[in-house]
Amino acid sequence: MINIDNYAYLSKLKKTDPMQKLLFALLTLGVCLWANSIAISVLVLFIMGWVTVCRGGTPPALFMKLLLVPMSFLVIGVLTIAVNASDNPGVFIFSVYAAGTHIGVSLAGIHNAVRLFFKALGAVSCLYYLSLSTPMVDLLGALRRLKVPKLLVELMGLIYRFIFVLLETADTMHTAQDSRLGYSSLSSGYRSLGALASTLFIRAYKRSDELYTALEARGYDGELNVLEEPFNVRWTGYAAAVLVNLALILAALLMPQLTGGLL
Amino acid sequence: MSKKYQLGLGLVLMILLMPQAAFAMHIMEGFLPPVWCISWGVLVIPFLVMGVFSIQKTVKQNPKLKMLLAMAGAFAFVLSALKIPSVTGSCSHPTGVGLGAILFGPTAMSVLGIIVLLFQALLLAHGGLTTLGANTFSMAVVGPLVSFGVYKLVKRMKGPQWLAVFLAAALGDLLTYVTTSVQLALAFPAETGGFAASLVKFMGIFAVTQIPLAISEGLLTVLIFNALLAYSSNELKDLRILSEEVRI
Repeated sequence: MINIDNYAYLSKLKKTDPMQKLLFALLTLGVCLWANSIAISVLVLFIMGWVTVCRGGTPPALFMKLLLVPMSFLVIGVLTIAVNASDNPGVFIFSVYAAGTHIGVSLAGIHNAVRLFFKALGAVSCLYYLSLSTPMVDLLGALRRLKVPKLLVELMGLIYRFIFVLLETADTMHTAQDSRLGYSSLSSGYRSLGALASTLFIRAYKRSDELYTALEARGYDGELNVLEEPFNVRWTGYAAAVLVNLALILAALLMPQLTGGLL
Repeated sequence: MSKKYQLGLGLVLMILLMPQAAFAMHIMEGFLPPVWCISWGVLVIPFLVMGVFSIQKTVKQNPKLKMLLAMAGAFAFVLSALKIPSVTGSCSHPTGVGLGAILFGPTAMSVLGIIVLLFQALLLAHGGLTTLGANTFSMAVVGPLVSFGVYKLVKRMKGPQWLAVFLAAALGDLLTYVTTSVQLALAFPAETGGFAASLVKFMGIFAVTQIPLAISEGLLTVLIFNALLAYSSNELKDLRILSEEVRI
């Protein structure tokens, strides 16, 4: 299930300074949201796709598959925004009469919806660039350098470790229950899932207990200190991130004049 | 049947038959305009600061609780990845909002919630970085507060334990999605009818469809809670340090 994490470790960009990747992803994300234009969003989508696939070595099929993940939310959300109800059918270019009111879509509505659709896809590609090239551990190191409260970063690190332990436990239990027909009917499904979740909780509790004992035996004094791997830090990376975004901003400012505000 | 009706019918069928969103409906990356991303983010900060300070205090008194809190966070993440079998055939995922609020208290949940949501965005591609504030507000602030309030209220009115847990989990789940609908409606007021019309649309899609799922989450939470009471009441007593109010 968590194959994003696997691919992040395999990425060729893994050795790059996480701070630089964070800057690039967040800057582009911000520009994409601010520009709110179809052309810029598609551009961002292609830039991020190119960097992730060609520079990072992520399989293109995986990138495409990930773009489909939020699709159901996106389609439902966009349709909800585009479709409106009104007493006056004149405002719509297409409408049906139902339940005493006209339900339809207007030209401006469609335009907004399409713009939102591409904007969200562009933004999602920025998120994928970050998560497909930066393992969580490196990201936590970057957060530490950004002076996020220590307690928060430490909790995140611990939670990240425990997620995999608990997922494996839950998976084993689910397989065991399923092979004994635990999910054959609705009521037994609920019973099995209740048992699974409560056992998982008790297991988690026990493990946290054991972990604390083990840490204390090794001299734990309230802080977990880890060494960080060295990264390739190059100023050109930062410069490229800023330059690409300056170009995007410039394009966003010039675009309305070139295309007459359509895109 | 005219062409228009055929197309309309087709669209309605498509929406109805579309497979249920695999995960709890977080607002996706890039969906909210920047103004709202920042507003919701700012709104979450006081809860987060309160949560961090309260956790810092409890951890100082009892360092073991840091591990327990981390386990609780991981548990919430894994819980949200489980599938609840549902009557309609599609399956849904529990939000874990109610269970978390009852076990750990709403202040701890706001901190755990934002971490879990960040991990869901980065590891599972559900939710997003710019919408983290909005999602945290609905899932880790409003939901747990409602759950906790309902739980306390039913207990005070001497209601049975199972009813308190059921209502807390179901209403916490439901109110989370009502909040999401309000957030979406505020960001995208309808062309005709403004905020109110938009709210009706989003409620219809995000909150009404959630009612059966909220009920299943309520049922599941009761089952989990009963099992916990039966097998690990000692551990639950420990948790009271985290959420002092809970009386079991």
